[in-house]
Amino acid sequence: MNTASRRALSVALFSASASLCQAAFCADTAPPNEIRAGLYALFYDASAQNISGPYAPAGLNLSVKNVQTLYLAYVRTLTDHFNLELALGYPPITKTYGRGPSMLGSVPYNDVELSSARWAAPTLLLNYKFLNENYALRPYLGAGINYVNFYDRESTAGGNAASGGPTQISLSRSLGPAVTAGLSYRLARNWGLYASYSYSRVRSDLTADTAGIIRTTRISFAPGALVVSAGFSF
Amino acid sequence: MHRFRGQLLAAFAGALLSACGADSTTSIVSSSTAHGTLAENPPFRIASLNASAFAANLAASTAGAQLLQVTGAPLCGIDFYYIKFWTVGAAGETTESSGALMVPTGAAPACSGPRPILLYAHGTQTDKTANIADITNPANSEGDLIAAMFAAQGYIVVAPNYAGYDISTLGYHPFLNAVQQSGEMIDILTAARTGLPNTFAVATSDNGQLFVTGFSEGGHVAMATQRALEAAGQRVTAATHISGPYALEALGDAEIFGNVSLGSTVFFPLFTTSYQHAYGNIYSTTSDVYSATYATGIDTLLPSATPIDTLFANGALPESALFDSTTPVVTIPGEPTLSAQLTAALAVPSNPNNPETPLFAAGFGSPYLVNNSFREAYALDAASDPDGTQAPTPSAGLAVAAPMQTFRLALYKNDLRNGSWAPTAPTLLCGGDKDPTVFFSVNAQTMAAFWSALSPNPITLLDVNATPSGSFAAIQVAFQESEAAQLASLESAAGGSLSPTAAQQQLVENYHGDVAPFCALAARSFFSQF
Repeated sequence: MNTASRRALSVALFSASASLCQAAFCADTAPPNEIRAGLYALFYDASAQNISGPYAPAGLNLSVKNVQTLYLAYVRTLTDHFNLELALGYPPITKTYGRGPSMLGSVPYNDVELSSARWAAPTLLLNYKFLNENYALRPYLGAGINYVNFYDRESTAGGNAASGGPTQISLSRSLGPAVTAGLSYRLARNWGLYASYSYSRVRSDLTADTAGIIRTTRISFAPGALVVSAGFSF
Repeated sequence: MHRFRGQLLAAFAGALLSACGADSTTSIVSSSTAHGTLAENPPFRIASLNASAFAANLAASTAGAQLLQVTGAPLCGIDFYYIKFWTVGAAGETTESSGALMVPTGAAPACSGPRPILLYAHGTQTDKTANIADITNPANSEGDLIAAMFAAQGYIVVAPNYAGYDISTLGYHPFLNAVQQSGEMIDILTAARTGLPNTFAVATSDNGQLFVTGFSEGGHVAMATQRALEAAGQRVTAATHISGPYALEALGDAEIFGNVSLGSTVFFPLFTTSYQHAYGNIYSTTSDVYSATYATGIDTLLPSATPIDTLFANGALPESALFDSTTPVVTIPGEPTLSAQLTAALAVPSNPNNPETPLFAAGFGSPYLVNNSFREAYALDAASDPDGTQAPTPSAGLAVAAPMQTFRLALYKNDLRNGSWAPTAPTLLCGGDKDPTVFFSVNAQTMAAFWSALSPNPITLLDVNATPSGSFAAIQVAFQESEAAQLASLESAAGGSLSPTAAQQQLVENYHGDVAPFCALAARSFFSQF
């Protein structure tokens, strides 16, 4: 999904939020706890410093491929307008690819899958919901913090060949701000539908250890996350 | 409903606790530091080049293009591995060292399957950070040489950086220490054989043949290694020793008596530091050997991360003045004739009929490196117990009795005539008779003469500067034509428009290094017979 289509979707959803709730259940107060599940589409806007370290030619860089994963969240209603959202994605496998020269000597590099890692990235958001409970469709904005822990870090065969041998990858943990904008649509007293788009900032220092030869780079992500989910309140 | 809630919470827990896989690992780091142990297995591959990419890399520089003309086009690709291994220093210190494992690759029959190992010892480096495995470093000309000459033609090349260099924390380099350096060569060979099956180049394996060669300092190291391997009953298929200082006592005597070699102000501190660590008796303080100008810090000066030209410019070393231009007057009570002879022998060389007189005389000056008192003590020892090459009736043997002067004794211990060993494997001694850095006559010819009296005698002596003849005639012609072309180039506008005298001087300065590729080519030709 490109930026224009994402924006169009957001505008359409916000416009729809002006409609008043038509159903009798709208006036009922929903229970304060809610579990949401849905689809998490991550759009990486990643940049990395050139890889540095012994025997690393100039101009070696990395790119990261977009992924989709399962979205899960726990939401606690605080007031009619505020709630607290702990958002989780089932930790996706994120793949890094070589970016730079097509070959390192006689070893392919550019666009070769070098490594993969899963990342657990819980995000805690304080959301403000516009309108009131008489409206089925309510826009909301949120802000909070995002924590990322990478694990199951694997260097692929292509990565090992490019790195010069079996390689141990480490990625430092990241803590950064996150913001979101979304729409909620109340289907019933206990059920709701949600769509949101979030941004967070992730910075991680990647260290590759190949037989004691250490190469490093700092990757900065500004992942955008489109979430479509359904929630159950209890 | 409670059951449904439970399932949702279980899904949350799964998401939170999903760290179920394992991170990938790097090479296995050995817990043993026993000598000959490969420290990290598999070793790190610095680069992988197929034959055409390697040829293109070489052809991109003038020196590389000239090298290709000597070596011929690469047949094989090469995987360049950087290996770390454990060895011991001159005083038995455990130390990690490093080096190169170059593995031929490619589909050609000469590039995969069982292949011979070539164990190579490099020439003296002043750069402490030098790494012969780093083919990406344009300054690594000797790495280029052995890669193009041997690995690209199907030899599995193994070459140490030597203790005291690169990652080694030894703190000094055991320069021309026959026991330590041969031990280190065997240690890297053991480590390389351990790592070879685990490299990316799975199609290439050791066929059991072992060729040993080395250049300059490495010529001595290679010969000492051949001696150690043969003494241990390990088969050496054949060996070639190139431009090495083998007859160290004879070489030391020649230098002390005024035949000062090009580069001696670099070699001398390496010698004394090495032997001080090995034997502990070369000096009480460095000023016992060195002039006040240079004595402080000379024992830790080399090898250095600082370029040698900077060390010269900063006054840490003289460029050529090994000895004081005010030479000693020797006075031995009751020995006026000997005193006069020694005084004359220690004077600044001035024989106008010797074309090497300007070279030798350049080894004298002020400020100078080595004290007259040290020089005189050495000379007295040499006079009372002369080397076989300097005796009144010349022979190729060592001094009859062990020297008394401690530095001369150290040279004696590391002189490869010591022990009366002669090779059993076919051996080629190669060099150039005009070599101003390591004298061909004092070393290669002395060893050949020494071995000629011993049997078996599988020795071939090649002077690339001699009148072309025999099976190496083409190489002799090529070397001599190359030198003539270089001289013409130096005098040309492109080469700097040097005067004939300056061009000739530059040619002399380049000579030692110029010999290396041609003798390496002779080595390859020699080895191809086996």
